[in-house]
Amino acid sequence: MKQIKYILLAFCFLSLWGCQPEEFGPIGAEENILKELQGTWTLSKVTQKDEDAATKGFPYKELDVTNVYPYKELVIALLGDAAGAPTTFTITPGNAPKISDFNTGTWAVDNAKAPTVITIKNGTMTSELTLGSYAELKIGKFFLKKVKKANGKAIVSYTYQFTKK
Amino acid sequence: MKKLILSIILSFSVAFVFGQTNPTFNPKTFTAEDEVIMTFDVTGTPMAGQSDVYLWMFSNDGVGGGKDALTNGQWGSSSESAKMTRVSGNIFTFKFTGTTLFGQSPAELINFGFLGKSKDGTKQTADFKPFKFDPLVFTPSQFRVFPAKMDNTDMTTVYFHQDLATDQNLQRMFDVKVTITFYSDAATPAVVATRTALVATKESATLYSYSFIPEKLITIPAGTKLGKFSYQFTGSVKDANGANVPTSGPVNEVTYTVFN
Repeated sequence: MKQIKYILLAFCFLSLWGCQPEEFGPIGAEENILKELQGTWTLSKVTQKDEDAATKGFPYKELDVTNVYPYKELVIALLGDAAGAPTTFTITPGNAPKISDFNTGTWAVDNAKAPTVITIKNGTMTSELTLGSYAELKIGKFFLKKVKKANGKAIVSYTYQFTKK
Repeated sequence: MKKLILSIILSFSVAFVFGQTNPTFNPKTFTAEDEVIMTFDVTGTPMAGQSDVYLWMFSNDGVGGGKDALTNGQWGSSSESAKMTRVSGNIFTFKFTGTTLFGQSPAELINFGFLGKSKDGTKQTADFKPFKFDPLVFTPSQFRVFPAKMDNTDMTTVYFHQDLATDQNLQRMFDVKVTITFYSDAATPAVVATRTALVATKESATLYSYSFIPEKLITIPAGTKLGKFSYQFTGSVKDANGANVPTSGPVNEVTYTVFN
């Protein structure tokens, strides 16, 4: 009888030992976000947000500033290598206000499968941009968000919507 | 010649001393509900060299609804809770929270000022004021900027809510324009450029706006950094004979925030 108890206990331990997280693959075909990001994009919409006002629940949180200046003249080219890894980028601003302190350099992402942050770099200068939803990548649209902070608190942000050329 | 050089050096030194930001606050921006540490240098004031400095503080200078700090005590005998902590030499600190200090709500507190004094009030500094509290409650006003805080590279939109105007001329003003003046971030801010008669966008029957990015509006000389700008809405009103008469609103100043 005692033996049965030990056997049952060992069986329980073995069952627990055998537990492993199961990896679920993507539903449908796996998307290559990085590949889809590469190409030439035109700036189609610029939204300015008062993050501080939004935090405090004040009115006047967002403003569409696309047509204040010729933002739509700005074009960004995101290039990649044969394997699809990010390499260089070029911003051709036209008469649009600058959206970055530098117009050429390299770009990288935080996570190749599911990127959320794009870091653009030129020499020692770097700038981090948050990547918006991928939902519209398929229809040739993506969003980049630039946040300006003071004492670690978001104060102002810009959301740039790009449309594939 | 020597005298001339000496006086130039002296004037620069004086400008440098007075150009220093005094007092300083930690954190730099704060609401009326935040705890703040104020550091105050009494060098060059009648309180220099004193071992004890007491604060006489007051709220809402020049905007109405002001109160003396609850810690002030009597002028001839300051309360011990108004005593600053000596850090070294002429440097003193004081920790406070606006709402507790003045016994006023965040909605009531707009700014504050203070002076340093001896306990018996026989010595005192000049007034240091006004220092703005970051608002916690939105108060509609006839003039506002979007976003509320910006740096000198940001898109800024200035607004005139005519329905909130209290002055009769501003209520009747039409052909609305804006004058914008940019100042350097030097200790003594100098005018960098002024743009006048910029046509405001009529967003609705009673709302006018003008959006700009400084470097798109003016040429900023190399080496110059903008520290603040002012804006003023101008326009016309009809006189008794139906003729157009120029009119203008007050000049509003906005200091650029330094993001990090």
